[in-house]
Amino acid sequence: MNKTMKIHDQLSSLFWLGLSVYVCRESLRLGVGTLRNPGMGLMAFGGSILLGVFSLALLIQATIKKTTPNASPTEASTLWNRVISVLFALLIYAELMPIAGYLITTFLLMGFLFWIVKKGKIGWVVISSLLTTVLSYMIFSKWLNCQFPEGFFGF
Amino acid sequence: MGFFHNILLGFQVVLDPTNLLFCFIGVLVGTLVGVLPGIGPVGAIALLLPATFKAPPASTLIMLAGIYYGTQYGGSTTSILVNIPGEATSIMTCLDGYQMARQGRAGPALGIAAWGSFIAGTLSIIGLMFVANFLASAALRFGPPEYFALLLTGLVILTYLAQHSMLKALMMAVVGLLLGNVGLDMMTSLPRFTFGIDELVDGVNIIPMAMGLFGISEVLSNIDRKVDSPREVLTTRISNLWPSLRDWKDAKWPILRGTGVGFCLGMLPGAGAILSTFISYAIEKRISRHPERFGKGAIEGVAAPESANNAASGAAMVPLLSLGIPTNMTMALLFAALIIHGIQPGPLLIKNHPEVFWGLIASMYLGNVLLLLLNLPLIGIWVKVLRIPTQILFPLILLFCLIGAYSVNSSGFDLVVMTLFGAVGYLMRRFRYEAAPLILAFVIGPRLEKALRQSLLISQGSFSIFINRPISGIVLGVAFLLLLLNFLPYVKNRRQKLKEAES
Repeated sequence: MNKTMKIHDQLSSLFWLGLSVYVCRESLRLGVGTLRNPGMGLMAFGGSILLGVFSLALLIQATIKKTTPNASPTEASTLWNRVISVLFALLIYAELMPIAGYLITTFLLMGFLFWIVKKGKIGWVVISSLLTTVLSYMIFSKWLNCQFPEGFFGF
Repeated sequence: MGFFHNILLGFQVVLDPTNLLFCFIGVLVGTLVGVLPGIGPVGAIALLLPATFKAPPASTLIMLAGIYYGTQYGGSTTSILVNIPGEATSIMTCLDGYQMARQGRAGPALGIAAWGSFIAGTLSIIGLMFVANFLASAALRFGPPEYFALLLTGLVILTYLAQHSMLKALMMAVVGLLLGNVGLDMMTSLPRFTFGIDELVDGVNIIPMAMGLFGISEVLSNIDRKVDSPREVLTTRISNLWPSLRDWKDAKWPILRGTGVGFCLGMLPGAGAILSTFISYAIEKRISRHPERFGKGAIEGVAAPESANNAASGAAMVPLLSLGIPTNMTMALLFAALIIHGIQPGPLLIKNHPEVFWGLIASMYLGNVLLLLLNLPLIGIWVKVLRIPTQILFPLILLFCLIGAYSVNSSGFDLVVMTLFGAVGYLMRRFRYEAAPLILAFVIGPRLEKALRQSLLISQGSFSIFINRPISGIVLGVAFLLLLLNFLPYVKNRRQKLKEAES
């Protein structure tokens, strides 16, 4: 196990441990019932206990295991800005699409995605996103009858 | 008499023009998805599922199943021509398939992959017909304790086949079970873990969740690096797609052995199909008189794994259709599709909806013929598809995921759910957690809970009901043994280390 993996395992096990404590508390609030009459929190309670035990096991395993040096500095090459900006763009799209309509928001999103992933020329980005938007609209809305929001412009 | 009547009914269903079209679309999309690395059958099924809401259940299942077994065919093309497996089940095909292509034998490699897939696919359908029927009849005697035992064993086997850490796979299975708790309680109809969000009352929707965990996270983990080198596709002319007599002689037994291995392992939950390709390749190498040829362009190394993965895709339908237990992600989506169409997968499916079951069986025969026609003469088109740059492909995959997730309920909330699960899936990949146990446990979870609570109500709170009833007792025993087997390597390792320390 390399150092990065060790930290990853420790951090993630702490997260799952926290989640298990939260679910355990909530399931007790919902009521676990009795074995003769199981309550609606029973399954979640059992699951949270299991998750807690497994998380602790992973935390202990990661902590006591000897580490080896990282083979290659892969972490440094991660383009976090790309990942985070794509996720933000998708969230904004999710919020904006029902209001502004499919065509406008999809055109903007595709423009952004083509630009961030391919870094093409602006003309190429505009034409590609326009084509993608129109074609996808024709296929999914007109042909497959998917219901897309029209938005405040009516299209 | 009954059997032939049923088969005739199946062909009557599938030869309906609408169903024929659905079958064709399914295998076409399946091949396309198999050829393109990045979007798998799960993403494609999730994407097309909303488009089937207005179609009859039989048509829906015919198309979605077509996507599934179509990907197995298509995956071989990328393995042979680009040395990149289109699907995880085509990894082994790369070893000898690409070498054959480099030696100018891409045609026979593609040909034997397609013919092997066809033969294995057809034989596995025959197996599916008989085994599913037999299992379904047996399962009619199952009560809640038997179902609980069976579902629990499915979860154990699933984690047993985990690719990375078993502990992490177990954790993900538990997280899936917990996610399955979100929504209305099935017995009291009271909301739980909904956080006051109306959209969560019906639970977390599997489609946006699966698309996020698989589709979005796949794209994110590809764009987070600056490696944008174009794929190298072999440019030599592909000829002699019909394998020679010598090729047939070398490949006939590997095809049959691959079919057997694929069918048996394909019924297991988890990575049965993937495992079958590795095992069938290993078997061929071991029993070959010239094992040194493997990895250097042996046709047996293409025929066996390709037959195995197609046989496994047919076999994976057995537990779903006869017991109502999905064994992999794609089956989980087919399970969801049947539920959406008001059909409960399980032992009563064959009896209550014979047109769905036998229509599907007949469509698989027809689909295999269609795939053969699509894969061999149209190989040039698939090669062109392979040349689409990933920088164009990834934004398109994201768009397809968005459309697929939105179309389920026409809800922006589902897009948020998909994006959040996309982020979670991406982090899970980086932290080496597997998403498959999570999704399968999520699908199985509510049924497991129902079976557990019903069993406890029947037994008035006694867990002995699971042991006293013979079927559930035996099945739980198997689950326990499998769990123990999981820990054996750890114990062995520990003892070895202690011995080393002592000496």
